[in-house]
Amino acid sequence: MKILKTIMMAAALVAAPAIAQETAPTAAVSASAAPAAVPAAAADAPASSFQHAVPVPGIGQPISGALGTQPQVTDIGNEAEFMHNKILLPLITVISLFVLGLLLFVMARFRAAANPVPSKTSHNTLIEIVWTLLPVLILVGIAVPSIRLLAHQFNPPKADLTVKVIGNQWYWTYQYPDNGDFEVVSNLLKEKDQVGPKDRARTDDDGPRLLAVDERMVVPAGAVVKIITTSNDVIHSFAVPAFWIKMDAVPGRLNETWFKVPANKTGVYFGQCSELCGARHGFMPIAVEVVPPARFAEWVKTKGGTMSGKPAPAATAAAAPAAPTAKPATAS
Amino acid sequence: MTDTTANALHFQGDHAHEHHHDADHKPAFFQRWFMSTNHKDIGTLYLIFAIFAGIIGGAISGLMRLELAEPGIQYLPLWAGTTNLDTALHMWNVLITAHGLIMVFFMVMPAIIGGFGNWFVPIMIGAPDMAFPRMNNVSFWLMIPAFTLLLGSTFVSGGTGNGAGTGWTVYAPLSTSGSPGPAVDMAILSLHLAGASSILGAINFITTIFNMRAPGMTLHKMPLFVWSVLVTAFLLLLALPVLAAAITMLLTDRNFGTTFYDASGGGDPELYQHLFWFFGHPEVYIMILPGFGIVSQVISTFSKKPVFGYLGMAYAMVAIGVVGFVVWAHHMYTTGMSVNTKMYFTAATMVIAVPTGIKIFSWIATMWGGSLSFKTPMLWAMGFIFMFTVGGVTGVVLSNGGIDDVVQDTYYVVAHLHYVLSLGAVFSLFAGFYYWFGKMTGRQYNELLGQLHFWIFFVGVNVMFFPMHFLGLEGMPRRIPDYPDAFAYWNHIATNGYFMMAVGMVIFFINVFWSMFAGPKVEGNYWGEGATTLEWTLSSPPPYHQFETLPRID
Amino acid sequence: MVAVQPRYNRTVIAVALLPLAMLMLGFAAVPLYRAFCQSTGFGGTTQRASALSAPVSVTGKLMNVRFDANVAPGMGWTFRPEKNVVKIAVGARNMAWFEAINNTDHVITGNATFNVTPGQSGQYFTKIQCFCFTEQTLKPGERVRMPVIFYVDPKLIDDPDTRDISEITLSYTFFPVAAGKASS
Repeated sequence: MKILKTIMMAAALVAAPAIAQETAPTAAVSASAAPAAVPAAAADAPASSFQHAVPVPGIGQPISGALGTQPQVTDIGNEAEFMHNKILLPLITVISLFVLGLLLFVMARFRAAANPVPSKTSHNTLIEIVWTLLPVLILVGIAVPSIRLLAHQFNPPKADLTVKVIGNQWYWTYQYPDNGDFEVVSNLLKEKDQVGPKDRARTDDDGPRLLAVDERMVVPAGAVVKIITTSNDVIHSFAVPAFWIKMDAVPGRLNETWFKVPANKTGVYFGQCSELCGARHGFMPIAVEVVPPARFAEWVKTKGGTMSGKPAPAATAAAAPAAPTAKPATAS
Repeated sequence: MTDTTANALHFQGDHAHEHHHDADHKPAFFQRWFMSTNHKDIGTLYLIFAIFAGIIGGAISGLMRLELAEPGIQYLPLWAGTTNLDTALHMWNVLITAHGLIMVFFMVMPAIIGGFGNWFVPIMIGAPDMAFPRMNNVSFWLMIPAFTLLLGSTFVSGGTGNGAGTGWTVYAPLSTSGSPGPAVDMAILSLHLAGASSILGAINFITTIFNMRAPGMTLHKMPLFVWSVLVTAFLLLLALPVLAAAITMLLTDRNFGTTFYDASGGGDPELYQHLFWFFGHPEVYIMILPGFGIVSQVISTFSKKPVFGYLGMAYAMVAIGVVGFVVWAHHMYTTGMSVNTKMYFTAATMVIAVPTGIKIFSWIATMWGGSLSFKTPMLWAMGFIFMFTVGGVTGVVLSNGGIDDVVQDTYYVVAHLHYVLSLGAVFSLFAGFYYWFGKMTGRQYNELLGQLHFWIFFVGVNVMFFPMHFLGLEGMPRRIPDYPDAFAYWNHIATNGYFMMAVGMVIFFINVFWSMFAGPKVEGNYWGEGATTLEWTLSSPPPYHQFETLPRID
Repeated sequence: MVAVQPRYNRTVIAVALLPLAMLMLGFAAVPLYRAFCQSTGFGGTTQRASALSAPVSVTGKLMNVRFDANVAPGMGWTFRPEKNVVKIAVGARNMAWFEAINNTDHVITGNATFNVTPGQSGQYFTKIQCFCFTEQTLKPGERVRMPVIFYVDPKLIDDPDTRDISEITLSYTFFPVAAGKASS
């Protein structure tokens, strides 16, 4: 585990120059620093002046040959990872090795050559009580942090931003109801040899193959983001391993979950649809870009949204005039 | 005790009288194998069927591992015979669906319950046959159209391509509005038939065990394998009808405009998941409990000791069966459950670890102080104990609703379920197969090939499935035909493990064919003093009709 | 063997009744599950009360109620809340408005499914009046405003699972009612 972490940190350091925002959290600095780092992305997206962050290998994406969970960036993720790495994993390793050790011991000690006359013992009340009660105690020991983790997961702070995630066959749409209700359609970026000459193909600045998308879900760092999920067709599941979240998107009903990425953990975090949803189930990735709040405001502006919490002008115009016919609803 | 005097009365109606009506009288080929009422013949038919289905299901997993060996889509368009990518990708979903359904309903269940259950439950309780021999035959022959329907479904449209691509869980609405075409209907009907077969079989087992035990064979003297089949039969009776109801409503939603699982008509897709897993969780115990029974017999035999804590072992199985019915929603932690529901299912699921622990420790205690010989069946049984422990402890990890958020629907779950099934149930099947091979055929398997099979298979499945834990923790979702390149490392290794396992299976089949025709003939009790159950009092193979005079157990 | 079978009859009948009962239970799960959800708020199922039976004490606790509106793909309606979020006092009766527009050139009848998140708040979220109780028919181009009258049960404050909830989201999805099935 420790070696793994060192490797990851080394990888992060190598790639560090690409994440200028991390050391320069203000919008102005990062905006001026970013184009120098990723000039190619600007040319690809002339319609929007927003400079997207470049994903860092080892952060928010799977690591080749790794043995454990992706590095966690949320408090919940850290708590859960601690519970898995420091409580459950040692415990199950010890139990498995204990059983293996017992098996090897009886194999050696009680092999026919070493013990030609078998005993006839078939009862020992004390030992039976011990191996019933001991697991009970261990499980109670696990249950305490487990229940506490659940309580923390289900007790979110007041949300600063709500993003509505809609699953479709086979792409995600992200709506920002508090920012003028604009919508972002997020599709897999195909490889160069899979698209026409004029279409946008994936570059390494977009992210790894099968994870990179054309439009990321962008959220501010340091903010509590509430995710509400639903689906337009079959069940999908919205998952970001680095945040330790996964929530099904079910047609006809709404689910919610949340995450909060600390201010110093800006970056791009990837996930994949996690419920079988048809032919291209493996080809509808999730990419969440966490940016400093000022950058988030910039991004919202490029999408035609607002930061005031009021609907954008276009949406207000449509909603404001009272509808001519009010339909009386039926009381129960 | 093994008096096999003729019971001519039984045959008078059926046969010409020139035959000598003794206990070893066998009907002509067609009657014997197609209209069979003999529990041993039906058990043999089940075993042959399960091996056949297992070859298909195993070959499908080979295709899957081949496609997953390297990142990118390599073979699917070729296998699907199409240039349309969606059609090719649909084939992937057909493969995973078929692999799951075949291995669960047409390999493990027929082998462990239909095969070994039919063969040895009547013998072990000192009964001449099952209570309802003709119904037994019906049970088996229902499996043939069931399997034909499932295989046939791959040739008709199931939406984006041919075949049912819904996963073995057949979740609505992917299985309803998401999969037009007759393939899913055929798969559902296949499950109906397989379910009906199992329910009839379960009724037969329960009636047999309750009513046909030899004098003196009290419930608390029954071998643990019989106990395990009894508990399993009750699980089948309670769980399968719920599946039948759930998938019947899928059928009507698909074809007759009902909206049980369709939100647009006031239904709820999550109701299907609740019903499915109310069946699905006991189903995993249906697959593993008879394996527990087999392992108990084998461990006891090769330790030359009675099973340690017999009553605890029997009632641990009952407890697992009972608790297994109140934990189903731990398969649904990410469906948007409320916090108290998640807490309940977390706690309830952990409880199962207690009776399972009792079993593991009792097996080890059975060996403790014994005089152990490491024949092939014993190797499989000991491998089972360790591998099932590994699968069990990852189950404890998964039971935590809060931890599950990161591993739900990832390869961690794939690793877990294959450790309890492919290294659990399948190991117990091989243990039983080698244990009883001589009893069933009258010829012994080759010990060297058997041990070689074990070690190659053991290493192969571990190389294949252990890295899947890492893939799952890193976030690789299950049921995807292509993956981000970072997952390539462990996937490549897993595929190598598959080929190793396949080599082991080749050795197995060589051993089976060689032994069946050229293996040394064996006497009644070829395992010696450790083998104390009633099948070892009979010749190998047992007479066509055993216990015409009932044995007396004291 | 055949001759001794009658003595199994009792076992067989008992054992055969078991799967039959489970089969019935499997089908009965549909209404039972609905009743279970309605009585416990399971899965974020909201409660329903008549105007008279809702004499509730207004508490000082304030919380947000967020409204979410969805339309089945291809239905051709626009459907949205007039306000995305309102601040309400727990216990107080509130009215919220939704707007639906039929953008097509034919009459469409719709029916709305609903739930609230987080799921454990369902048992305390009570609707007195809602457009979701009945089907709604919109003529081509018609626009309607539809009210929901609801309150949040003050018992929510006493429940340790729900007392820290700062925002409840009420979600609707309109689905078209098949032509033959429309009741009005």
